[in-house]
Amino acid sequence: MFLQLLVNGLVTGSVFAIAAVGVSLIYGILRLVNFAYGDVMAYGACMAFLFNVTLGLQMVLSTALAMVATAVLSVTLELVLWRPLRARGAGFMSLFLASIGLALILRQMLLLVAGPQSRAYDVNPYKVYVIGSVRLSGSQAIAIAVAVVAIVLVGVLLSSTSLGRTMRAVADDRALAAVAGVDTGRVIVLTWIVSGLLAGLAGVLAALVQSTFDPNFGFALLLPVFAAVVLGGIGSPYGALLGGFVLGVVTELSTWGGFFGGVNSVYKPVVAFAILIGVLLVRPQGLLGRARVV
Amino acid sequence: MSAILEVRDVVRSFGGVRAVDGASLDVAEGSITSLIGPNGAGKSTLFNVVSGFLRPDAGRVVFEGRRIERKPTYRIAQAGLVRTFQTARALTRLTVLDNLLLAAPRQPGEQLLRNVISRGAVMRRELESRERAKELLALVRLEGHADDLAGTLSGGQRKLLDVARALMAGPRLVLLDEPMAGVNPTLRVQLLQHIVALRDDLGLTVLLVEHDLDVVMRASDRVVVMSNGVVIAEGTPAEVRADPKVVDAYLGTGA
Amino acid sequence: MSTLASGEFWAFVGVVAGIYTIFALGLQLEFGFTGLLNFGHVAFMAIGAYTMAILVVKTGLSMWIAAPVAILTSAAIGILLGLSTVRLRSDYFAIVTIAFSEIIRYVATNEDRLTGGTQGTINLAGAGEASQYNGEWERFQSWVQGVLHIGSKDVAMLVVVWAVALACTGGLYAAIRTPWGRVLKSIREDEDAARSLGKNVFAYKLQSLAFGSALAGTAGLFYAWQFSFFSPGDFAPLLTFFAWMIVILGGLGRAWSVPVGALVFGVIFAGTRFFDFAPFSWFDSADRAYLRLIVIGLVIVGLVFFRPQGILGKRDEMVLE
Repeated sequence: MFLQLLVNGLVTGSVFAIAAVGVSLIYGILRLVNFAYGDVMAYGACMAFLFNVTLGLQMVLSTALAMVATAVLSVTLELVLWRPLRARGAGFMSLFLASIGLALILRQMLLLVAGPQSRAYDVNPYKVYVIGSVRLSGSQAIAIAVAVVAIVLVGVLLSSTSLGRTMRAVADDRALAAVAGVDTGRVIVLTWIVSGLLAGLAGVLAALVQSTFDPNFGFALLLPVFAAVVLGGIGSPYGALLGGFVLGVVTELSTWGGFFGGVNSVYKPVVAFAILIGVLLVRPQGLLGRARVV
Repeated sequence: MSAILEVRDVVRSFGGVRAVDGASLDVAEGSITSLIGPNGAGKSTLFNVVSGFLRPDAGRVVFEGRRIERKPTYRIAQAGLVRTFQTARALTRLTVLDNLLLAAPRQPGEQLLRNVISRGAVMRRELESRERAKELLALVRLEGHADDLAGTLSGGQRKLLDVARALMAGPRLVLLDEPMAGVNPTLRVQLLQHIVALRDDLGLTVLLVEHDLDVVMRASDRVVVMSNGVVIAEGTPAEVRADPKVVDAYLGTGA
Repeated sequence: MSTLASGEFWAFVGVVAGIYTIFALGLQLEFGFTGLLNFGHVAFMAIGAYTMAILVVKTGLSMWIAAPVAILTSAAIGILLGLSTVRLRSDYFAIVTIAFSEIIRYVATNEDRLTGGTQGTINLAGAGEASQYNGEWERFQSWVQGVLHIGSKDVAMLVVVWAVALACTGGLYAAIRTPWGRVLKSIREDEDAARSLGKNVFAYKLQSLAFGSALAGTAGLFYAWQFSFFSPGDFAPLLTFFAWMIVILGGLGRAWSVPVGALVFGVIFAGTRFFDFAPFSWFDSADRAYLRLIVIGLVIVGLVFFRPQGILGKRDEMVLE
């Protein structure tokens, strides 16, 4: 049972981790807390449905196309909304409020076009892998495998490519980077692309793992994702990854019978938040964050 | 004259780097003491430790006979040790006058209930504070800006506001972190004169970090020199200027 | 468009705007004046409403006692939350407060015996018994109607709610202009500067949270009385976001901008219901609901673009943010 829960936790954790990195990258570079991120993920999931079920394409291809569609959406929003706002000197409050308005618009548009009913992808729901005492559904196995690949790629991107280094430089100090000759506009667009790809992927994986989904599921995901980012330490993409996995695993394991009889599984999100609060009390900057200096 | 402030063997590291590495110094009551040293010597860190913004890893700080190194900043300020900041922290969306009124000590109206039950006392103190604030503003030539938002002030003006605010709090020891940086030369002289006057009239003790050696030499009673986290020399301005260790620190390997 | 002219409908909109005014005042105090990024504000509305309903139904306490107890409970829990969280950096504080409001909602949903669970307050007296907490309130409302010679319940409610809302707004306005309020504002601007001048920032933040939560609890009471029934789903984070919109829409850092923001918000929200001209007429009513919210979202984004300081805010202050 423990192992099963652990694996379930890794699956949930993968989804959180991927989404959390997307959020963290944008926050790092723009100081924008993107409340619309959950609905962008939902958009990705819905687009994958469009390709997979309505157009009958194979799931992997549909996912890739959905990721592209989400990246396109993110870049469009950057050019149409975020960049003009920044040019007007919009402060943190304005950007945050705009992201709330945007979240509202996105979700309602999805509801308008797709309707509120639950849907599922065209995948075989009965395929099960059995490894020892652990049962993995086909979707879960895919989720873990894809997540691992994605995380490795993101890690490589951030640490070894010049784009990754530039992203980190701009996140550290945008004015300085600009002075040093970095085309900050271009880096920002590229960051939105990466963040959008990740959002799309996370959305599809979340929908896969849940088996059914509706356009409203983005916000429910958003809170644990934000929690993962904060848990890992705001400003650290690696922290976001770690935070996502920790949150996923610990919430699943909390329902284990061997742990004081187990937490009622309905309370799993509560456990996630309790962990977050607990960690912050002891380590206010998060797991991998930098301590505050006056 | 006794030491109003004693710093003993203070150590403070950041991620493996010892910004302050066993620093000790005394500040005599009623004196103007300057803390100088090359960049990276640990002066700001020491200020942060003394004023309670940082906890030292080791060592102690004694103010008027009481140990304060583990006390929260606001208690230290209430006890009479007030500091300014290197980049002036003007409260931008408050008026210049409000910035100063905030600093006035013993304003009963800062407890919400007292505004209802001791209205008279609150109003009286507020009027007193306004008078004092206007005096201080006149001193730093900001009286015309009293009702402007502090955010509209220039950098140099904000530093002056910072200093005026610290003085408004009626401290017994004030820590001035580069008070002259960004302030125009004529004003510097006046500010200095006023600080000296406060020392003479009220026995105010001043510890300042300053790079303008002219100010340091002319106004200080004592000078303390830091380099690489430790105090390498202290004495009168003349003594310190002649000390070869000091010359070395500034011209030699540097921070 | 016949309901457009209906007094009852607009009285209802007015009541909701009044409730939101009280709710958003708490947020204005916490964020607009003290700089606390509280995203869990709705939790305290829930606490106020539930405490009153539970006390009235389960212990038979008079509403006139249960109500103040509910407000004090909201304040007390606000302080408890603050004790552990107020020292956190502001973005962390924001997330933790959302987490807290979700925890409250979960507890309300799952602790059936205490709160009636998902079915809400109808269930408070246990299965099979429909319970009501509103008896005394309805009597009070009739009394108000009698005294003021008003025919309609909604108008009576409107009068009561707005009397309280305006009193709270006036109270906040007065409080902020005291030296106490000055300390709060200094904390908003620069905590470290406030500390260096001897202010106990921690204690002031807790006070701000206490009063802000008390206001939210009061709003919860009126919500409970207006609708005479509620369930955990009524206290979703969306309400906190509405309060944020109202505060920013009206203008940050001004007590009187809250009622203005709430009224404008209420009119926009309710008014879009009557859009039956093109392109709205192309859609059926279910879809029209989505379209309305899209319009509201666009209005918000538009405001951010063209009037970020809100209706009553000052541009020069905004620029200094």
